[in-house]
Amino acid sequence: MSNAFLSVENHPDRQIANVRGHWIFDEIPALEQATATVLPNPDQVVVFQCAGLEEIDIAGAWVLYDRTQQLSEVGIKSEFAGFKAAHFKFLQHIIDAAAIREYVEPGRRPPRSKRIRETVEKLGSHTTELIEDLGAIARSVLEGTYKPSLYMVGETIKQIYLTGVQAIPVVVVITFLIGIVTAHQAAGQLGKFGASVLVVDLVSISITREMGVLLAAIMVAGRSGSAFAASLGVMKLNEEVDAMRVMGLNPHQMLVIPRILGLVIALPILTIFADIAGIAGGALIAVGNMGISGLQFVERVAYSTDLTDFYVGLSKAPVFALLIAMVGTLRGMQVKSSAEELGLKTTMAVVQSIFMIIVADALFATLFTHLGI
Amino acid sequence: METIISVKNLVNRFGSQVVHDGLSLDIRRDEILGVVGGSGSGKSVLMRSILGLQRPTSGTITVMGQKIEYHKPGPSRCWGVLFQAGALLSDLTVQQNVELPIALYSNMPLETRHELASLKLLMTGLSLTVADKFPSELSGGMRKRVALARALALEPKILFLDEPTAGLDPIAATEFENLITYLHDNLDLTIMMITHDVDSLFGICDRIAVLVDGGVVVGTLDEVLDSDHPWIRKYFGVPRALRARQAGGRP
Repeated sequence: MSNAFLSVENHPDRQIANVRGHWIFDEIPALEQATATVLPNPDQVVVFQCAGLEEIDIAGAWVLYDRTQQLSEVGIKSEFAGFKAAHFKFLQHIIDAAAIREYVEPGRRPPRSKRIRETVEKLGSHTTELIEDLGAIARSVLEGTYKPSLYMVGETIKQIYLTGVQAIPVVVVITFLIGIVTAHQAAGQLGKFGASVLVVDLVSISITREMGVLLAAIMVAGRSGSAFAASLGVMKLNEEVDAMRVMGLNPHQMLVIPRILGLVIALPILTIFADIAGIAGGALIAVGNMGISGLQFVERVAYSTDLTDFYVGLSKAPVFALLIAMVGTLRGMQVKSSAEELGLKTTMAVVQSIFMIIVADALFATLFTHLGI
Repeated sequence: METIISVKNLVNRFGSQVVHDGLSLDIRRDEILGVVGGSGSGKSVLMRSILGLQRPTSGTITVMGQKIEYHKPGPSRCWGVLFQAGALLSDLTVQQNVELPIALYSNMPLETRHELASLKLLMTGLSLTVADKFPSELSGGMRKRVALARALALEPKILFLDEPTAGLDPIAATEFENLITYLHDNLDLTIMMITHDVDSLFGICDRIAVLVDGGVVVGTLDEVLDSDHPWIRKYFGVPRALRARQAGGRP
């Protein structure tokens, strides 16, 4: 038996394996095949004759050593001969290292009962963590109202700019387009009854009561909810939050409250912009496509929609803002160890805040219907 | 002596700030070259330029005969890099971090791959109980060892170390230096090491490159100590450097 790396000579009492060539990392699969040709035979001692070896690195030495280990497991002795000093040092090294080898099988699944217990424990600790975090924020809010710092005011204004002012263009564009879409759909259906003019009612009521605030909130959840989670998460990873703590600053007051406060102020303002843009979108279709005059449109809006509708929409904005900011900042503060966790928490922040916005909206709708508003 | 890395007329300029101004440096096979310099003297920029992570304003760099170009695949099989903070991939376990380069460059059986990675961890003095941990669960010193194991995973010829002993306690730093010398002696490694640790400079470096005035003063320890450049005199004249000098090199 022979190949480029190893040839075997059989003698009555020993088996001589002539090792030659380049025993290096790149050749590993072939090296393993080569060592496999050294077969265990109870009557023979295996001698690895290494005089022909040109180059060996740790990976190659490992393959050689590993085979001697396998042989010794079935009771075959093996020895090395003809090693150049440099090569031998290598192998000695491997042998030293392997002597303390305690190979662990990676990724063994724990038994089911343990997994269930761990899941329940995790659920419990997550819940208590959430309650603790909420409590800490609430306490910071209280402390902050006793002695508000100038820093918080500045930071809040910055957040209003980042989450509110900068979001105006995109919110205006999408609600304008949704206004157009709603008007088109309504025109098709209401036109069948010859009640085209009611399109104006439908657009202005649905935009002011529901669509304007909802679209603005969802947009902000995507924009700012993720930004909150990501930026706070990175600050946690960089130990910036810990740095604040040891300086005696309250990270909740410095980071969380300005974001919550900023968004609670910004979202209602965005909602006003959204309402105006949505109605303008409806107006474009009504005036441009349906032959309703501008004056008629304004008159109809004023007749069908009163300030209550507008306030109903607007009243939801601070609640949605609170949900977005709370979820975003909480998730951000929960980041502890890794970049992967950061991504996960950011995703959770967006998904959960949008989910909660819609749940809250449904509750609001039920509430307002019962109250008859 | 054979030159393994050659830097010729390297110029690095950021706006009006000139970091390297025609710097030339040869790194020889099997030596440990220590790189020192003040803050902003361009130690990291030099290393990043050699690694192809930074586009030099001008100049040529060759590593093992291959010309280095910015963001082009370099001789990544031939070099291993220990970044200052380890730069371990945080969503992989220690074992997976070391296995990753092996898996990318070889189609060896899974078991051999596990064993080789474990071996590299053992070589850097780690116990395999850390294998299933994530980098965030390790101490700074352990993280450096894992990063070194990863750097050694592909049997490199050249090792780049960016402040290998920074942030380690004296015991761990000494152990780490011993480890580096040991690996250097046994693996035919060429090592370029950025360091501020005067103990390692005096203890394990064959030659020292001092980055000053956009250029470099390079030589053995005695040659560099004889230099009359004011910054170099100051650097080696501070008490801690004098103490390290008196202590001499470790055996």
